[in-house]
Formats: sequence, C-alpha cells, structure tokens
Amino acid sequence: MFRPLLIENLHVAYGKAEVLFGVDMEIHPGRITCLLGANGSGKSTLIRAILGLTPPCGGSIVFDGLEISGLPPHKVVARGIACIPEGRKVFPKMTVEENLRMGAYQNASASRTRENMARVYEIFPRLKERRDQLAGTMSGGEQAMVSIGRGLMGSPRLLIIDEPSLGLSPALVSENFRIIRRINEAGTAVFLVEQNVRQTLSIAHYGYVLSQGKLLAGGTPNELSNDAEVRRAYFG
Amino acid sequence: MDVGFFAQFVINGLMLGMMYALVAVGFTLFFGVLDVIVFSHGDVVMVGGFTGLSMYFWLERMYPHLSPGPKLLCMALVSMTVIALLGAAVARSVILRLRAAPSLNTLLATMMLGTVLRESIRLFYPDGANPKPFPALLPKWSVEYSGLTLRLDNLILFCIGALLIVSVHLLINRTRLGLAIRAVAQDEETARIMGVNFTLIVLVTFAIGSAVAAFAGLMNGLYYNEINFSMGLLLGAIGFSAAVIGGLGNIYGAILGGFIFAFLQTIGAVALPFASAYKDVFAFAVIIALMAWRPTGLIAEKTSERV
Repeated sequence: MFRPLLIENLHVAYGKAEVLFGVDMEIHPGRITCLLGANGSGKSTLIRAILGLTPPCGGSIVFDGLEISGLPPHKVVARGIACIPEGRKVFPKMTVEENLRMGAYQNASASRTRENMARVYEIFPRLKERRDQLAGTMSGGEQAMVSIGRGLMGSPRLLIIDEPSLGLSPALVSENFRIIRRINEAGTAVFLVEQNVRQTLSIAHYGYVLSQGKLLAGGTPNELSNDAEVRRAYFG
Repeated sequence: MDVGFFAQFVINGLMLGMMYALVAVGFTLFFGVLDVIVFSHGDVVMVGGFTGLSMYFWLERMYPHLSPGPKLLCMALVSMTVIALLGAAVARSVILRLRAAPSLNTLLATMMLGTVLRESIRLFYPDGANPKPFPALLPKWSVEYSGLTLRLDNLILFCIGALLIVSVHLLINRTRLGLAIRAVAQDEETARIMGVNFTLIVLVTFAIGSAVAAFAGLMNGLYYNEINFSMGLLLGAIGFSAAVIGGLGNIYGAILGGFIFAFLQTIGAVALPFASAYKDVFAFAVIIALMAWRPTGLIAEKTSERV
C-alpha cells in the first residue's frame, strides 16, 4: 500500500511547445485508475513526466509522500512504479526470460525474482514454453504477454499501462483487460491509459479524460459515461 | 614455401589479429550502446601503452628488485584502470554532452580529441616525439622447429588477449550488468523505463572498452618492443575497419574483422609479388572491396546481435 500518487498543476513542454497545461490528478492504491483521451491529448506525455523521461517544467508529482518530479527514471522505478510501455517494446534480441529479468532489474533478491517469474509463467503458460525464444521473433500477442509479464516482475506498487490494446485483435484485447483486472485484484494499483473507452470504463474504478493538454473531466465510470461533455467527445 | 616459414606467418598473423580484435571490440561496444563512432579510441590504445611504460619506470625507481612478472602485472592493472577512467571521462565530458547534436559532431569531436591525446604525448612525455623502447618483461624462452620459432612471450600475450575477449563476452551475456548493456543497446528508452541507470551504464561500457584497449596498447609494446606517440592512428583505423567489416555493434564481428585484417596484411606481406611495405595498402583495399560487397558487415544484419 502507498499514499496516493498526487499530481498537482503539472506543466510539461517539449522545448517551447507546451503539451500539458496544469493537470491535477490522483491515483489511489488498490484501484484501477484510467486516463482517456484522443491522440495528441497529452496522455503519453503525462506518463513520461511521471516516469521521469520528460521532466516537467512546473507543478509537482508526489508518490507515497515523496516528490518524484524531476527524478531520473531509475529512481522513480526504485520507488515502486513500473510501466508497460505503448507498443510493448520488448527487447527483440533477448530471450523471453531475459526480458522478464529486465523487468526485475532493480530486484536485489534472486529468490524474489524467481518467485515473480514463476508467477508470470503461471499467468502466461505460453511464455514458459517459449522462455528461450528471442522476443523479436514472437507474434504480437505473445510479445504483449512478455511486456505485461515484464511489468509485473519488479512487483511494483503502481503499474502504469500505456495503450495495451493498440494493434491487438479484439479477442486479445478482451484477454488483456481480464489480465489487467486480475493484476489489480492481486493488489497492484493500475494506471491504465487507453483509447478503448467502453472496455476501459468497464474495469476501471475511477477515470480521467484528457483533452488538448487539460483535464476535461474526472469521476467514476458511471459519472463519466453520463457526463455530457465526455459523451460529446467520445460516445458521439 | 616450406611449412615452417608458412606457420611463422600464421603465428604472426594471429598475434596481430588478437591485437586488432581487442581494439575493434571497443569500437563495437561504443557503437552498440550509443550509436557513436569514437575516433579517439586508437589514441586511447596508445595512451594505454605509455601509461604502462611510465608505470614501468616508476617501479624501476621505487622497487628495482621486483621481478618482471609482478612488474608487468602491476603495469597492466594500473594502465587498464587509468585508461578505463579516461574512457569514462571521455564519455561523460564529450560523448554524452553531444547526444543532442548530429552524430557527425561526435565524430569530429572525438577525432579532435584523438589529436589532443596524440600531441599531448608527443609534447609532454619526455622525448615523446621519438619511439620509446618497450622493456621485454615476458620470458624469452622459445623453441625452434624447422624454421618456425615458437615464442613463449607471444603465447602468453595471445592467451591473455583471448582471456580478455572471453571475459568481455561472458560479462555481456551472463551478468546483470551485461543484461543492462544489451538492453541499452537494443532500446535505450525502454531500458530506462525498466530502471536502468542509463548514464552509469554508458560510463561503465566506455570503461570496459577502454580497459581492453589499454591492454592492446601494452600488447603492442611487448610484441614490437617499441611504442610511439602516433601508433594509435593506424591502430584506430584498423580497429574501426575490423569492427565495420564484421558488422558494427557485434562483438563476434569485431573479433572476426580483427583476424581478417591481420590475415590480409600477412597475405600482403608474403604471398603477393610486391614488397611487404605495401601490406597495409593491400589490406585496406580489400577492406574497401569487402565493404562494397557487404555494406552491413560480414555477419548479416538479420542474425547479428548488437553487443
């Protein structure tokens, strides 16, 4: 458990082009919090800011009582935040097992890494069969499993999942959402960034809608699907 | 041509090949993690040789009764450590700073840095403009067999070189540090998301590649019994060519490239009708032809594994 991740008045810019204009958000332990928004609304930038890949130019990000904005990624990861990046991003010339090891890169204890690996193999038996295969030679669906498994390897307190359904078949998308719910039920807080509105809202406990770098709405899935502005933007 | 004579050239070729491979491994490691060509690498090899030599003089003065074995071990350890730090400092102060700039700038900056290193040795090392005799510290024992001379010192140098390359290979493929180096080589950003300290890994990689280069510098001195301030120019060009024909970013390619280059030089020196002074002309000409034939290196891109 941790004290909520608090984002306050976050401003992020690439050079002179500002992308996020004062975003406020809370991510609570035990929940699935989702972030919806169209392409270019600033979702990926928000994730980059949390992870420390793009340091914000204003505002604060506090995780478990400690300011993390401006920290380099390896220090953010050390606080217990992991990410399953958009597009899966498996290491193509590493085996499945090496990819999983990368997810546990900061784990000091080998026995814990072994336990987590066993857990990942239990969720995805297919990965166990293919543990010595190079990840780059696998299908998109299998790479998604590697990427999710890798995200779980460090036993994060907060798992950020960026566009998990991108480029997957509808059957695999549903499977993915089932797994995300299962991860959350095992106690990991999830911050889910998605474009697939209906399925995302069906598993989330709380959601935010981002539009052009500003927060458009925040609320429970029910409130969001009934919000007039959100309906106009998303449900047509 | 009799067998002994031929075998002698094979042995010489293997010695040179090992030296070139040690230099090429650095080029390929640096390209693997950062996609940069570090032109100063040849001169770093030279500074490695001179650091070892300086250490020798210091030991001579302080511990005149020390036997050659420990003396050499001391020289190698100090030289490799100093050059590892030099490599990390180059990465920190030049290469990482130029990350946002076009890669041509890095190329140019490291070329200039090479000149700075070369000229510093020439100007500031006592009588640095002249070749320096390098002490023969390895046992001089040798056997002769029908025109073939097998020297123990060469065998020792070759074995240590091979040991170093195998260690680098094991480090890259079997350790947590190596896993991080490969991760950075394959996808820098994802490696950082996994919690890899990118800057630290780059510095460590440069330290490793440079330490291996320092040994190549010592090996050069022990093999030729001489070092000079400009030896890094040719060694750098050869190491770079070896890395490129093997396939930049691939360690096996670098080793293969090093031995191919030495093989070409040897052929140029013995088997061709013209004088052996043309051996480098011949070797580089063949390298150019090889590059035109296989632009991405001899080990095909599809199967090549970066770092």
